[in-house]
Amino acid sequence: MKKKFKLENLDCANCAAKMENAIKKIDGVQDAVMSFMTQKLTLEADDDRFDAILDEVEKVCRKVEPDLIIHR
Amino acid sequence: MTKKQKHMLIRILISFALLVLLKAAEILHLVQGLDQFPTGLLCYLIPYLIVGWDILYRAARNIRNGQIFDENFLMTIATFGAFAVTEYAEAVFVMVFYQVGELFQDYAVNRSRQSISELMDICPEYANIEEDGKLKQVDPDDVSVGDIIVVRAGERIPLDGIVEFGTSFVDTSALTGESVPREMKPGSEIISGCVNGSGLLKVRVTKEFDDSTVSKILELVENASSKKAKAENFITRFAKYYTPVVVCSAMLLAILPPLLFGGNWMDWVQRACIFLVISCPCALVISVPLSFFGGIGAASRVGVLVKGSNYLEALAEMDTIVFDKTGTLTKGEFRVSQVLPSEEGGLQADELLEIAALAENYSDHPISRSIKEAYGKTLSVDRVSDAEEAAGHGVKAIVDGRVILAGNEKLMKQAGISVKMQESAGTSVYLAVDGIFAGVIIISDTIKERAPEAIRGLKQVGVKRTVMLTGDVRRVGEAVAKELQLDEVYTDLLPADKVEKVEELLAMERKGAKLAFVGDGINDAPVLSRADIGIAMGSMGSDAAIEAADIVLMDDDPSKIAKVVNIAAKTLRIVRQNIIFALAVKALALVLGAFGVANMWEAVFADVGVAVIAILNAMRTLRVK
Repeated sequence: MKKKFKLENLDCANCAAKMENAIKKIDGVQDAVMSFMTQKLTLEADDDRFDAILDEVEKVCRKVEPDLIIHR
Repeated sequence: MTKKQKHMLIRILISFALLVLLKAAEILHLVQGLDQFPTGLLCYLIPYLIVGWDILYRAARNIRNGQIFDENFLMTIATFGAFAVTEYAEAVFVMVFYQVGELFQDYAVNRSRQSISELMDICPEYANIEEDGKLKQVDPDDVSVGDIIVVRAGERIPLDGIVEFGTSFVDTSALTGESVPREMKPGSEIISGCVNGSGLLKVRVTKEFDDSTVSKILELVENASSKKAKAENFITRFAKYYTPVVVCSAMLLAILPPLLFGGNWMDWVQRACIFLVISCPCALVISVPLSFFGGIGAASRVGVLVKGSNYLEALAEMDTIVFDKTGTLTKGEFRVSQVLPSEEGGLQADELLEIAALAENYSDHPISRSIKEAYGKTLSVDRVSDAEEAAGHGVKAIVDGRVILAGNEKLMKQAGISVKMQESAGTSVYLAVDGIFAGVIIISDTIKERAPEAIRGLKQVGVKRTVMLTGDVRRVGEAVAKELQLDEVYTDLLPADKVEKVEELLAMERKGAKLAFVGDGINDAPVLSRADIGIAMGSMGSDAAIEAADIVLMDDDPSKIAKVVNIAAKTLRIVRQNIIFALAVKALALVLGAFGVANMWEAVFADVGVAVIAILNAMRTLRVK
């Protein structure tokens, strides 16, 4: 399943790249693109565990950019 | 400015005012000990904390999360270093300057993001549905195929459909860059994203919102930034190594020289701090994608969709462009211009046209359509049987029990029928009835008004080789090529030959140069994907074309290609300027810092100042004409 999320408080392009790499390493994630320009996260992950994966995504993002909000 | 930014600005101003007061007091000796520990430290800490408390907080928080080398941490270390060597005013100023730079950077990025989204502001917010004689506004997502929507003057068309009622002129400029409005009347196809100009229109919806032109375009442009150009990948790789390398060298710089040569510890620590300030690759990481994003935005403003930064990069390196003729350089609107029965066939002109129309009845080829159109009367299908179409040759069918062949010279030659050759500049459709040459129908296509300008423009922007491929006969192809002053023309090609020809041309390319193929996207999808850059005529939103191509010309105007090459070249130039400028300033500041020539101020400029300049430079891509 591929889904798009709006992001808030994504302030730094380098952080976006860091988070993108971290998200890609999560188990069950096929692909992730975090666009600093459009402030959007496109996540492609396993259907059955999508919500759990999204929780994991929030966790790794919080490590890099604690203020980031992912609008579900 | 956002609320957050305003808040920051106030903090900066207060802190800066305090800093000026303190410094003045220090110079004028109004307060004793302002340049010494502890009075100085305590006094200068006030403006320092006002402007930089969030940096300290974030640095601490990020270390707890295992993210050590970020900007916040580096700025904290650098300013602490300055405090340690009793450069109090300098420490505060560096923090103030850093925050000013960050604020400006934030503001600039926001602005450019906004101007791009304004450019892409084609998304309709609502659709009007008539219910019990009253108009009701609903979400375009909730409208289903077959519903009738009402579009009033000045409103944006929310979904693709067919006009059922009303006439009007619609402004398609947001999609095509074309300023001349299009006339709409019952039966016309209308696409979402256009603005209704004058009259009220009732439209029967033919596509769901998610499949409508507007949604497709927005998705394409938003996804474009995920297809990264070489320059972008370089920057990402570079950023990964740059920061750790600089931070490690900073540590070595602080420890090794004093240990080995017995230098002043304070002095070397300060030099190391300068390294830390310069170690963030932000200027590059922001400005390069921003430039490409701006370039894609600028292209979409002239009605050209570019599906990725990599294609923009390839366009700038393009030196060969291959055109398909029909529908690309010519209008693809075929008209029967002459009907010439042969003597041996003994048919009248209208009889000849009739059997041709019947034979071509099942074909949807533009030429067949034009013959049927010229015949004009309804065709009785039961007179035709066993119709076969041979791609690139013509058709064979049985009409009223007689075998009819209709097609080009090759078809006639295959059947062993001798024909009288035609020398006119149109496409000739030869007809044979039961093996006897019955006559010829001449069909001509006209060159697009903008085609000569397109070729001239491409030569001007540095394209070395212009080539035309066509399935048409040599005479017609060469006439068109000559009129447009194309360098090369290959005629009599079947669709499969076109792929082969493009492969041949690709093999001839010198290394690093790119080849583009421009087609109408209808039956040349394999060629579009084989070329380095596939450019398709969007035909106002034909799905097949948008799908297969890398670049889509929304209004089928070939002269837009030169414009986009221009935008691409300028974008690439700006990207290169930014990379070179940022790297050069940083390298210079590192060297000067290591030798103790550059101070903290220059270091902050090398970091934040460069980022701001690079962003401003990147924003110029939006304004390319």
